[in-house]
Amino acid sequence: MPELDGWLLDLFEDQNEGAVFYFISQDGRRVRLHQEFPIVFYALGTNSELRSLWRFLASQPRPPRLRRDTRYDVFSRRRETVLAIETSNAYTHRALFQRMLQFFPDLTYADVDIQLSLRFSAATGVFPTACCHVVFDENHKILQINTLDDAWSVAEPSIPLRVMRITPGDNPAHAEPRQLLIDMDGKTCQLDLKDERPLLVNFCALLKRFDPDLILTEWGDTWLLPRLIELSQKHGIHLALNREPHRDIRWQKERSFFSYGRVVYRGQQVQLFGRCHIDRRNASMWNEYELDGAMEACRVTSLPLQVSARTSPGTGISSIEVLTALREGILVPWQKQQAEMIKPAAELFSADQGGLVYQPQVGVHKHVAEIDFVSLYPAIMVNFNISPETILSDPTAPNVVPTLGIAIDDSQMGIVAKALKPLLTKRVSLKTQLSKLSPRDASYNSLSSRASALKWLLVTCFGYLGYKNARFGRIEAHQAVTAYGRELLLRAKEAAEEAGFEVLHLYVDALWVCKAGCEKPADFEELLCRIIEHTNIPIALDGVYRWVVFVPSRLNADRPVPNRYFGVFQDGSLKMRGIDARRHDTTPYIGQTQKHILEMLAEYAEPRDALPSVLRYLKMRLRKLRNGEVPLKDLLVKQRLGRKVEAYRTLPAAGRAARQLEAVGKRLEPGQRVVFLHMRGEPGVHAWDLPNPPDPRSVDWLYYQELMIRAASTVLQPWVGSEEKLRDLVLKETVQLSLPRMISRHPIIHSLPILAKPVLLPALKAENLVTIDC
Amino acid sequence: MGRTLASATQVLIQEEGAFSRFRRALRRQDQLALDDLFNAAQNHLSAAAYAASALPFESFLLAMLLEEHKEVMRLRQVVAELQEMHA
Repeated sequence: MPELDGWLLDLFEDQNEGAVFYFISQDGRRVRLHQEFPIVFYALGTNSELRSLWRFLASQPRPPRLRRDTRYDVFSRRRETVLAIETSNAYTHRALFQRMLQFFPDLTYADVDIQLSLRFSAATGVFPTACCHVVFDENHKILQINTLDDAWSVAEPSIPLRVMRITPGDNPAHAEPRQLLIDMDGKTCQLDLKDERPLLVNFCALLKRFDPDLILTEWGDTWLLPRLIELSQKHGIHLALNREPHRDIRWQKERSFFSYGRVVYRGQQVQLFGRCHIDRRNASMWNEYELDGAMEACRVTSLPLQVSARTSPGTGISSIEVLTALREGILVPWQKQQAEMIKPAAELFSADQGGLVYQPQVGVHKHVAEIDFVSLYPAIMVNFNISPETILSDPTAPNVVPTLGIAIDDSQMGIVAKALKPLLTKRVSLKTQLSKLSPRDASYNSLSSRASALKWLLVTCFGYLGYKNARFGRIEAHQAVTAYGRELLLRAKEAAEEAGFEVLHLYVDALWVCKAGCEKPADFEELLCRIIEHTNIPIALDGVYRWVVFVPSRLNADRPVPNRYFGVFQDGSLKMRGIDARRHDTTPYIGQTQKHILEMLAEYAEPRDALPSVLRYLKMRLRKLRNGEVPLKDLLVKQRLGRKVEAYRTLPAAGRAARQLEAVGKRLEPGQRVVFLHMRGEPGVHAWDLPNPPDPRSVDWLYYQELMIRAASTVLQPWVGSEEKLRDLVLKETVQLSLPRMISRHPIIHSLPILAKPVLLPALKAENLVTIDC
Repeated sequence: MGRTLASATQVLIQEEGAFSRFRRALRRQDQLALDDLFNAAQNHLSAAAYAASALPFESFLLAMLLEEHKEVMRLRQVVAELQEMHA
């Protein structure tokens, strides 16, 4: 019998062969195998309902295999009698289920809409990219498959992928790219996009010669591959993007959805069979963790690489839970109908809260330690066994959740805790490894990306617990997590105060503390031990700040705002949250200025000493802005559209820019970013992706100046004072003119519109001014 | 996002808004003093949220009182120090 040791690259359903698998063998061959893979799903209902369903299914032209069974249901907390229905493959399963829904819409169904890769991983332990041992027959049918790999091992994945990277020089939304830059494991070549036929012929030859396992593109989903496919049809040249010659490419439609308080846009997707395609610009978390992270997500979620790279961490965490349920024989609900428990109104006040967030003590603080709980919410779910089926509505039971009228059943581990435990352990191990490495180490970036992928899965697992449509979500479990979170943070605060520390700020899973005489990390070690003793959750010292500033509200300088701060750690590194340099919609020129000011402040033991050079620097940056010396690219603003352009009542700048694009036929969907410049006159913006370039003389530098002063003031306010004071300091060699009353021979005046309100201009000599009577 | 009840911050903003007519009819210096009181309440939003009272304004009033008492304690200490200096 032929055997193979190698890695599973891709798997998908096939109407005739059941499931098709592509392997990379250890000797470098790419091998296609197949296997029949029956699909089992379940129906729940009364005995008579299940009997009628049985009769209905038995009378079908190709009846499925049927049996009575019992499976555990997390929401009823008991084993339920079910009718197990086994179909020969995924295609027959879907067709049969549609018919069942038509005739038996009221029954409860489970294990219905589960990806093949998850079912296969649950049945065999083999997940995409896993190293495995396969025995097959001469018809390439798999007889036996065993995994030699472990998704939870911290070792680096070993799959030897051949990666073809394709990059067009420009963003196709901005300007038509002229050539494609192709990199194949270090060998590069360029293809001219203008000559269509040679382009196709050469590209097909490259595909055939290099035979990539992964095509990694930029704008491949939304522009490149659709374009190449269109050209191949036009010129009648077969383009073998798939390794499966007879299959079409899998297209997924574009969509906009709401996630974490904002609208997200996902472009259409082009997925291949037998090899993977990832569009870096359309992969949701690519900027966070790149290929190493996508691979890590693929391994722990058991989703194929090209799917896991594109899906949100929410889908990832849901997959891990489904996988755990399949392995444990727990029913995976289809269209869950779960209502919130009945509770007294008073309890709603206690339950409907998030994490504990203090109002920080505004101002500069020295020698402050920032202490973070490590993955607090997932650790709570695992340590306190919080899961939909472990929540008891009996407040007299042991293990009552603090401040809530519910308790936790600790008799057996819940499905969510079971799913999260290995994930949490792996992340902590990777983080520990990472902390021992220098950032210059060759494996640092890969390890950091993998830890980041796990972090995002863990971050979303809490949200999914409270999401009513999540398969294993339950609002009471979600509320229990935040209740424990508040309790543990308060315990940490009490521990710190007992040890004589002043608590400057608390933010969900972190606290900022200081104490006279405590300046080095070692001075805080005893406190860390004390907090761990009080909470039983791992905690880490993020660092000791030389100084940290908690900034007040922009609208009211007497009011503190949480999570807006910046500071310098003892090693000179900066940390900032909530300020302009961290925001995605800040103009690069302004973000860079703010960051550089912070770096200048960090160079001095006493930040005040840096002020003269900081002010000189700021004046220089403002001068460059006024003189038009800043490249337009550095003044671009990127903002996400929150809705369709026609849905705005009053159009914000981003909406006006989107409307300009619409006028030239470039339509933007909610969640897409619009890039524009602020300009003088109507409509006040110029969309960057318009075919005509903006006139640099019309850039509204006064507006950019205001943004710059505001950003600089945020970080200089503790030492300089109010924004007005800073404005006086940096613009003091300018004079204020009231324009309708004065005209001048100064060149700038002629390029400015007539404004009713005063504007600030560079100093003018008296002889250049003429006062007129209005 | 996803909340059944308004957050403590939202409730404080609503309460402050509900007193806008009261504030408008005050003299300027009294308006500023009132603003100080609401700022004091803002400093203890997290405690008010954690208390989860059905009448959150009670918590806000207590927070105002708390800040006032802290100021009284601070001034008492200053007075005591001054008295000591002049004794």
